[in-house]
Amino acid sequence: MSQETPAVQMTDIVQKFGSFTALDHVSLAVQKGGIHALVGENGAGKTTLMKVLYGALKQTSGHVELSGRPIQFRNQAEAIQNGIGMVSQHYAIIPELTCLQNLMLGAEPGWAIPVKKAEERAYDLASKMGFSFDWNSPAAGLSPAGAQKLEILKLLWRKASIMILDEPTAMLSPSDSDALYDSLKSLAEGGATIIVVTHRLPEVMESCQNVTVLRGGKLIDSRPVSDVTTAELANLIVGRSLEIPTKEGFLGSNPWLQVKGLTVKGDRGNEAVRNASFTLCKGEVVGIAGVDGNGQRELFQALSGNRKPQGGQIVLAGKDVTKEGQAQRIQAGVRQIPEDRHAEGVIEEWSLAENASLGLQRHPTLRKGSFIDRKARLDFASKIAERFRTKHSGFQKPMKSLSGGNQQRFVAARALAIDPKLVLAFQPTRGLDIDGTQQVYNALRATARSGGAALVVSFDLDELLEHCDRVMVICHGVLSEVPENQTRDRAAIGRLMVGAEL
Amino acid sequence: MLSLFVLSLTLSVPLILAALGGLTSERSGVINIGLEGKMLVAACITGLVGMASGNAFVGFLCGSGAAVAMSLLHYLVTQAFRVDHIISGMGLNALAVGLTSVLHKRLTNPDFTDRIPGFPVQVYWVIAGAAVVGIAWYLNRTKGGLRLSAVGNDPDKARQMGVQPTLVRFYALVATGLFCGLAGSLIVTNAGSFTENMTAGKGYIALAALILGGWRPLPALLACILFGFFEALQIQLQGQAILGVDLPSWVWQSLPYFVTIVALAGFLGKNQAPAGLGRP
Repeated sequence: MSQETPAVQMTDIVQKFGSFTALDHVSLAVQKGGIHALVGENGAGKTTLMKVLYGALKQTSGHVELSGRPIQFRNQAEAIQNGIGMVSQHYAIIPELTCLQNLMLGAEPGWAIPVKKAEERAYDLASKMGFSFDWNSPAAGLSPAGAQKLEILKLLWRKASIMILDEPTAMLSPSDSDALYDSLKSLAEGGATIIVVTHRLPEVMESCQNVTVLRGGKLIDSRPVSDVTTAELANLIVGRSLEIPTKEGFLGSNPWLQVKGLTVKGDRGNEAVRNASFTLCKGEVVGIAGVDGNGQRELFQALSGNRKPQGGQIVLAGKDVTKEGQAQRIQAGVRQIPEDRHAEGVIEEWSLAENASLGLQRHPTLRKGSFIDRKARLDFASKIAERFRTKHSGFQKPMKSLSGGNQQRFVAARALAIDPKLVLAFQPTRGLDIDGTQQVYNALRATARSGGAALVVSFDLDELLEHCDRVMVICHGVLSEVPENQTRDRAAIGRLMVGAEL
Repeated sequence: MLSLFVLSLTLSVPLILAALGGLTSERSGVINIGLEGKMLVAACITGLVGMASGNAFVGFLCGSGAAVAMSLLHYLVTQAFRVDHIISGMGLNALAVGLTSVLHKRLTNPDFTDRIPGFPVQVYWVIAGAAVVGIAWYLNRTKGGLRLSAVGNDPDKARQMGVQPTLVRFYALVATGLFCGLAGSLIVTNAGSFTENMTAGKGYIALAALILGGWRPLPALLACILFGFFEALQIQLQGQAILGVDLPSWVWQSLPYFVTIVALAGFLGKNQAPAGLGRP
């Protein structure tokens, strides 16, 4: 195949949903054997464009060619038969099935499954990629990184040569992200064509050969990564110069949240958090860096009152809240931006207005005696939708009508709305673009400064270093402060995160 | 003692067959409290056709066909019209009671005094035993079984992987109809004649056994045998005085149902239901 014929050529794609134009004459050419980044803000049309390519959506007009051959897939099954596979942001892994069953599902090797043979092929594929799996254990036990790896193997199992990955590093730690890109690079060298939809510019600059920028459903630019700087790319994405705030150094002195000797058990009876002691001063935004699954979840659950600690003490604003339940803590001003917004943040079938008061329903401003104050709730919903510019089509519409990024904006704004004294933010910018991330952290900082504190968990160390006043590290349930002289040292913190010596 | 054992097995076979029907349906995500109605219709039609034709096989075929038709109605209502699974199951049961009552009154030949022709009970024993093993194998070792579990746990993700949940459920409900047909024809030919509402809650007991067995074929089989044992026990204990007290027969008759409630109360929540149960 000559270099001139791209592996994927999409020409003049238009995608309309009713009167809304999601894609406006967008073209994309992807060369074989490389990693091509597709970047843009929420709602720029990245995922829509990929869905057209993958056969999940039928474009209004425009055409698609694979290696010069025009194609029009009617569904995803046809796409996969033609070698195109996609890993979406929400993994299509069924936790109740085993890893092997998940791997095969939809592409089983025959009516009766030759288990031995299937296992052999699974081992082969995994070892070629340098992965290892316990193929017969349930997929429920997989970490996010493990699930991501399984998704990639699922594409290889189906012999996909063109792979689309939507936000592949959203749930991964820095080292897992690096490992992922290493695998992608080796796949690309082996002749695969990889398209990565992402928000994270450092990974574009480091690992991708070409980048295409979309904004508002239009093609803005497409060029080799070597021809562009991070700052230029950021400007192309946002469409205006992004102000990088010079962060004022903040040193708190007034202890606000004091945690002493906190020990929390995990679901499997293990000590998920061991003897954690730390202090948050009034006004501080503190990040907790760490690889996923090192006790962040249990720590937050203990702080929010959703999990009973085995020992230790939690003092908020001078008051011991260790024995208090969730409702009392909410009343005391503890707010959450939860990790899994589908499970813990919103009720998707409920309207935006109903979701606005979720968790805050007992707050005096949102009720009339024992009843709901519908008017106040509606005003409140409009206020929090305004804050991070949540795009929606009415407050009575169900939450599920919003895109993931917009749901996240809504949930984040809700947590910061009424008298927050302690904000527990778990991956608060999951699914948000640069602009949204900036807004959320600015708001977190403003909230903390005006008489509270915020604790942020993120698996993206760069994000924490950029936005937090200081960073702590959690590894195997042990929480540690970063030594004074290394507070901005990415490599040193990275070593702490994996439990290595400094 | 031996007779109690044999009676237990005999009484548990219709439960096993119905429970397997429930299994294929529920593992695909369709809650099935309509087992009772499907069995009842199968029993009635097997009886009527068997009576008219004098042929056991023709009777069985028509009875099972009727149960499959009921199951397809269930499919239509839950999958095409997206009616709540519990409500549609109840509706199906109510329909079955009314329908079989009318058919029985109108079409029963009053001059027919023979037993309804049927296969020997041993045939059903073999079928039930083989089906349990077969379904256990099917679930773990075949493409269809894998897809069935996938759809029952998460229809959306299964769809993403190129599986068509509605097609899987179609086959699953056809299988449910066949198993209920077997169970119904066994009940009516074993009794010799059809009486109104003769399934007497066996569909619900089978469902309870399925839940008790954690939606797995072999444990469900054991649960069915347990319930069959208590059914047999109540028959044996009827009219016998216990410690000098002569208990009325309804006390004994309620025994299997009572055991069902206790067993469910004790085990419910401990077993993992298919995660996608009742989801569109």
